[in-house]
Amino acid sequence: MKSFLESRLSKGALFILATFLGFALLSFIVGKLLVFLPEPIGSRSDLFVQGAKVTLLITLYSAVLGIVIGTLLGLAKGSPRRWLSYPAFAYIWLIRGTPVLVQILFVFYALPVLIPQLQLDEFWAAAIALGLNVGAYNAEVIRAGIQAVPLGQTEAARSLGLSHTKTMRWIVLPQAIRIVVPPLVNNIVALLKDSSLASAIGLLELTLAGNRISSETFLPVPVLSTVALLYLIYTTAITVVTHVLERTMRLKAHV
Amino acid sequence: MSENLLSVRALHKSYGSFHVLKGIDLEVAAGEVICVVGPSGSGKSSFIRSINQLEPYQSGEIRLHGELIDPRKNVDKLRQEIGMVFQSFNLFPHLTVLENLMLAPTCVKNLSKRQAEAKAIELLTRVNIVEQKDKYPSKLSGGQQQRVAIARALAMEPKIMLFDEPTSALDPEMISEVLNVMKDLAKSGMTMLVVTHEMGFAREVADRVIFMDGGLIVEEATPEEFFREPKHPRSKLFLSQILQR
Repeated sequence: MKSFLESRLSKGALFILATFLGFALLSFIVGKLLVFLPEPIGSRSDLFVQGAKVTLLITLYSAVLGIVIGTLLGLAKGSPRRWLSYPAFAYIWLIRGTPVLVQILFVFYALPVLIPQLQLDEFWAAAIALGLNVGAYNAEVIRAGIQAVPLGQTEAARSLGLSHTKTMRWIVLPQAIRIVVPPLVNNIVALLKDSSLASAIGLLELTLAGNRISSETFLPVPVLSTVALLYLIYTTAITVVTHVLERTMRLKAHV
Repeated sequence: MSENLLSVRALHKSYGSFHVLKGIDLEVAAGEVICVVGPSGSGKSSFIRSINQLEPYQSGEIRLHGELIDPRKNVDKLRQEIGMVFQSFNLFPHLTVLENLMLAPTCVKNLSKRQAEAKAIELLTRVNIVEQKDKYPSKLSGGQQQRVAIARALAMEPKIMLFDEPTSALDPEMISEVLNVMKDLAKSGMTMLVVTHEMGFAREVADRVIFMDGGLIVEEATPEEFFREPKHPRSKLFLSQILQR
């Protein structure tokens, strides 16, 4: 049932998989190239690679979490039911009104005090804090995307007998996705950069790795330039992939 | 209980303080074709959209073969039996023509892909557009899109079809291709309720013409009576204005 629609989903999944493989390949090549750079980069390339790997993984996990949270919150905030929209409104207000660094510190240091079972390591504390953060920003984007789908689409679907949920699932969300991809990617690019804040709780990601090498070698200019360059490579790669994605979606349906 | 397919009693609707429907009563027998005409703002569209609950109304009841339509209970089920065609087509732009027709049967009625596709092809052949089945709606002309929209509604095998000004958004040269499809549909015995400004269509196809003005049904007559000698002064005025064009 619905296999003709699900084939689209599998194409989407394939695209995401290809993107991950592309990023893994990119990281591998970047790692190999770093070895050839002059001192002090070449000899410490393993630490750069290690840091970049943590940065990418934390971005990946928090982006996935952020999109799930953003979709649920976006639907909730746009819902006519107050018991859904009010909590969503409060969550977005709280997260967007406080610094992400404070949120990371809170999840790592304060949450275990409040709930002793929630003893997270640096990686998961940062991934969850960043995911919760970007989720609030994504929610606004997704709510706006859903509202941008013309009302006539919902009316046509409902008049065919589709329930509210099925209308969302098969008619509204697939069209909203095309609208929300560019701003969501902006959020993910911001997330990749914000992941550097995880260095504050001692997570050895790209920024902390660079900072350590810089203070060991007393050569901040080449080391921090390399750190910045690596961020730039990854944010550019994300942007390029998105442009390709946008183009293919537009070519297919001219929406 | 009446044997009528659709029965509307004392329907009242307001948008805020604007009382748009002031008590509509209408009985529609199976196989009947009814054209609803009247000046803009008379409540024609609000009325037809209320029938399948796209517009909430404050009081009144609407029954489909005797069953009361309740927006909180059986609306999704009864909407499957009420086909709707919109002025602005509202095809799903992210799906091909074929998929537009297959979506509801597979997703609501749990038809297999093969059954839904066979049905879709049959209907697209009927509205004479089967060669466009793999295109996206944006590639079609307005007339073609509206014919696909009619086929999409028919794919659910409705008992009654509602048309909300189906030709008003079309270029003049495309109106007849849509009206011809609707005429064939009427001949096949489909029960139809059509809000339209196409008086030629109403005269030729309708079993009954309903004239609405100011939120009320002002006159109800056969097309011969209505177009030859309208009884109500407001119908007379409306027809004289329309025919002057």
